[in-house]
Amino acid sequence: MNAAPTPDAEAVIEWASRVQSTSDKILRRLTGEYHEDEWGFDEEFTEAVFPLFEFLYSTWWRVRAEGVGNVPGHGRVLLAANHSGAIFPFDAAMIATAIQKQHPLPRWVRSMILNWALDLPFLSYVMRRLGGVAANSANLRRLLEEDQPVMAFPEGTRAFGKPFNERYRLQRFGRGGFVEVALETGSPIVPVAVVGAEEIYPKLGEAGPLGRLVGSPHLPLTPTFPWLGPLGLLPLPSRWRIEFLEPIDLSGYGPGASRDRALVFDITEQVREHIQEALYRGLVERGPAFG
Amino acid sequence: MGAKRILVVGASTRWGSELVRALRDRDGVGEVVGLDASPPGANLGDTRFVEADIRDPSISRLLPSLEPDVVVHCGIVWYPEKGRPSRALHDINVIGTLQLLAACEKMDRLEALIVRGSAAIYGSGPGAPAFFTEDMAGRLPLETRFQRDIGELEGYFENFARRHPEVKCCMLRFQLEVGPGMDNAFIRYLNLPVVPTRLGYDPRLQLLHADDATGALAAATLNPVPGAVNVAPDGAISLSRLLRLCGRPAVGFPPVLSGLVNRRVGDYVGSADLYRDGELLFRYGRGCDNRRLREEVGYELAFDSEGTARDFARSARRLPELFAAPHPGSPVRSVSR
Repeated sequence: MNAAPTPDAEAVIEWASRVQSTSDKILRRLTGEYHEDEWGFDEEFTEAVFPLFEFLYSTWWRVRAEGVGNVPGHGRVLLAANHSGAIFPFDAAMIATAIQKQHPLPRWVRSMILNWALDLPFLSYVMRRLGGVAANSANLRRLLEEDQPVMAFPEGTRAFGKPFNERYRLQRFGRGGFVEVALETGSPIVPVAVVGAEEIYPKLGEAGPLGRLVGSPHLPLTPTFPWLGPLGLLPLPSRWRIEFLEPIDLSGYGPGASRDRALVFDITEQVREHIQEALYRGLVERGPAFG
Repeated sequence: MGAKRILVVGASTRWGSELVRALRDRDGVGEVVGLDASPPGANLGDTRFVEADIRDPSISRLLPSLEPDVVVHCGIVWYPEKGRPSRALHDINVIGTLQLLAACEKMDRLEALIVRGSAAIYGSGPGAPAFFTEDMAGRLPLETRFQRDIGELEGYFENFARRHPEVKCCMLRFQLEVGPGMDNAFIRYLNLPVVPTRLGYDPRLQLLHADDATGALAAATLNPVPGAVNVAPDGAISLSRLLRLCGRPAVGFPPVLSGLVNRRVGDYVGSADLYRDGELLFRYGRGCDNRRLREEVGYELAFDSEGTARDFARSARRLPELFAAPHPGSPVRSVSR
């Protein structure tokens, strides 16, 4: 009667306790007993979504990350990356996942999100819970002053909605606002080159009027979207390579340097060139996108 | 510096009465004089009360005769109520303030003027800074009638401050106040049995505890700093989490429907046309930076946004803890140990 539990019984108990802890967690969330930080970032939610990102990272896109160690393990840092994706900004998610999976001191990276994306229903608050913040210099400055790692896409909308035949060609880097803030706060800039994200939604055309109808400045046409309906939202399984470049240390310039326009443009161009070179290099090293 | 005579304009409003009570026994306060169009509902003890309407031009003769050292304007009204439509708010908020400033011009002893304004001046938008600092007013366009009113009266106020550098002019920009036992349109909205929200949006809100609202107002009255000061708590909380803490079910309504629902709800909670401010706020939320309040005015906030939400939830929870989280010692888990 008092025999030790058989392996089967142990499995049942194990399973039951997992059900219990999941239902505890759901009940806890339903009663509001969880933590959000002052930006609306919800770490528990992010961790719950993380397995999906991990799957995309390891299996779907077979991401290879180089130089993750170039991201400082503590203190403020600004990651500047090339942007693409046309439908969902998966490049941001994969950069964050690379740091989580491969950095010895992983941190959740906050990302600067375009205004119009934060006006989209559902997506806006999902992105906020994952650490998204409206892209403006006030937010960037405050995050860096809090010693957070922040990622920004200086090309902005221009790159997100660019056609497939312009892939991996960097667009203009705005007015260099991100460099100004990095100079003011003495934050190092880590350029990041993402290869692979341009092929997940090859954008062939644009349905502008239809997009405006649903409240988005872009409505891309890809080989699968919107023809296959929701199925068309499935990103293609290209092969990815993410390279984190050597940090550019700006602490030597002093906070007053942010008013020096020429210097700001110089550094902006330097970041842009580093990323562009790394993109060409990465494209060769990655080889064909599919297969 | 002798004891000061403080004139509280709008003394019959909740915040005016609370300020009068908070100031009574403070050091450096000589006499507190209350002024409003109708007698206060709350007991203000032996505080001198003057019945006058700031919309009436005669106050430009009456007020200087009271010879105050400090004037605190608590008469700005946030919510349109039944029988006080948003059009009437314009008269109270803008014309009233204009008359009050005209009266302040004639006060020889005036050292400080404090206005209890609103953070609504910053507006709400998808690309807005997560924490507005005082210099960011006017970054977003003023879209609603209330915002335009606040913008207009801040304009008059700044004008006055420029022409009277000897008077410390302090504009306090308050975030949403929430507290147990409070009653206003926002509280009534939170107390609906089922709370309508905008489908697909979950705004980040800052909830200022009623105790902090009074405390900060009193602190700024005793230590006014020139310019605008945000009165906002630390942190922020999303509307969905606030409603969950309060045990209120929420229902999201899609665009067109939510407009209709808001109108009905506005009628129900008494804010007449649940005005555009609320609609924008419940879509995008708003956060303000409070460093000036803490460092320059020197007020230490007692509650952060979450603390305020919890304090409110304790009083608001009508149902027993139906969905209370099971405590750690529940049976299944103890078996697995």
